[in-house]
Amino acid sequence: MSETLEKTQPGKTSVLKPVSLIRGTMVSTDLALTRRLCEEVIGLECVQHEPDAFLVRESGHQKGGKHEGKPYWVLEVRQVDEVANPQEMLNHWGVELSSQADVDRAYETIAEHADEYELGRVQKPRFRNNSYAFYFVDKDTNWWEMEYREPDLVYEALRLKGDQA
Amino acid sequence: MKPLVTPHLLSHGTVECQDMAKTRRFYEEFLGIDVIRPLPEAQYMWRGGAWTVVCVHVDGEPKEQGPENRFELALASASDVKAAHAAALAQKSAFDMKKVTDLSERNGIVSFMIQDLDNAWWEISNVTLKHYDDLFEKGDIAA
Repeated sequence: MSETLEKTQPGKTSVLKPVSLIRGTMVSTDLALTRRLCEEVIGLECVQHEPDAFLVRESGHQKGGKHEGKPYWVLEVRQVDEVANPQEMLNHWGVELSSQADVDRAYETIAEHADEYELGRVQKPRFRNNSYAFYFVDKDTNWWEMEYREPDLVYEALRLKGDQA
Repeated sequence: MKPLVTPHLLSHGTVECQDMAKTRRFYEEFLGIDVIRPLPEAQYMWRGGAWTVVCVHVDGEPKEQGPENRFELALASASDVKAAHAAALAQKSAFDMKKVTDLSERNGIVSFMIQDLDNAWWEISNVTLKHYDDLFEKGDIAA
């Protein structure tokens, strides 16, 4: 691994000055099944905005929801006939749960329903890289991580600490 | 129907990188996103909210990705996107970008894509959060 470089000021001195990292994208060979996975298993909000694609965001941003008015990012899931570039565990989408016990419960229930949602491997939870988490993979090689982080180790808290390595 | 899991945040996505410092230079100096390195093997980046993209170090060439698996950065205006496209073409070799696509426009959203030094794809556009707010508000399109 190569090492440090002079810190720049992104958004001030950088070439691009983005407002937001706003979207990630993934593919599915079965939109209906992937949507069921997102809604019924992972508890995310979905909307089909195009005939061959739907959008995903965390629940609560709708009117009257607990996150109403707060910024969010979206995942876009697009229908394909076949997955051209199968994904691996290092390419995953992560969701944050509220406790270690929630991760254990999520593991138990997702493992129990794996066949119904045509999931591949559902790995057991373990501590790794500041979190307690497990991974599972869907039928289209999209990997998902369910994780819990102690409050001082959530991503926003780590931002305040700056570089540590 | 109550979901099996009730997360409070769609928290992160991931990319791979081979040379942490070189990749960070591209993120910070060209893309203009914020980066920290909390672990020797990972750096975290963000812009505009609580979510994060985790960049994980790998030995050797990062996995080839297609543009169907990408992240999108929103700029403030269509003219900013056009200027960003010109800058990407001019600085492609300086930041070891592998590809810079042509500009395209759809329903007032101007965009182009970059495949970076680690094979990851970035879409640069002038899409807004209101665009997505409206789509969620509208609900599913008719079957």
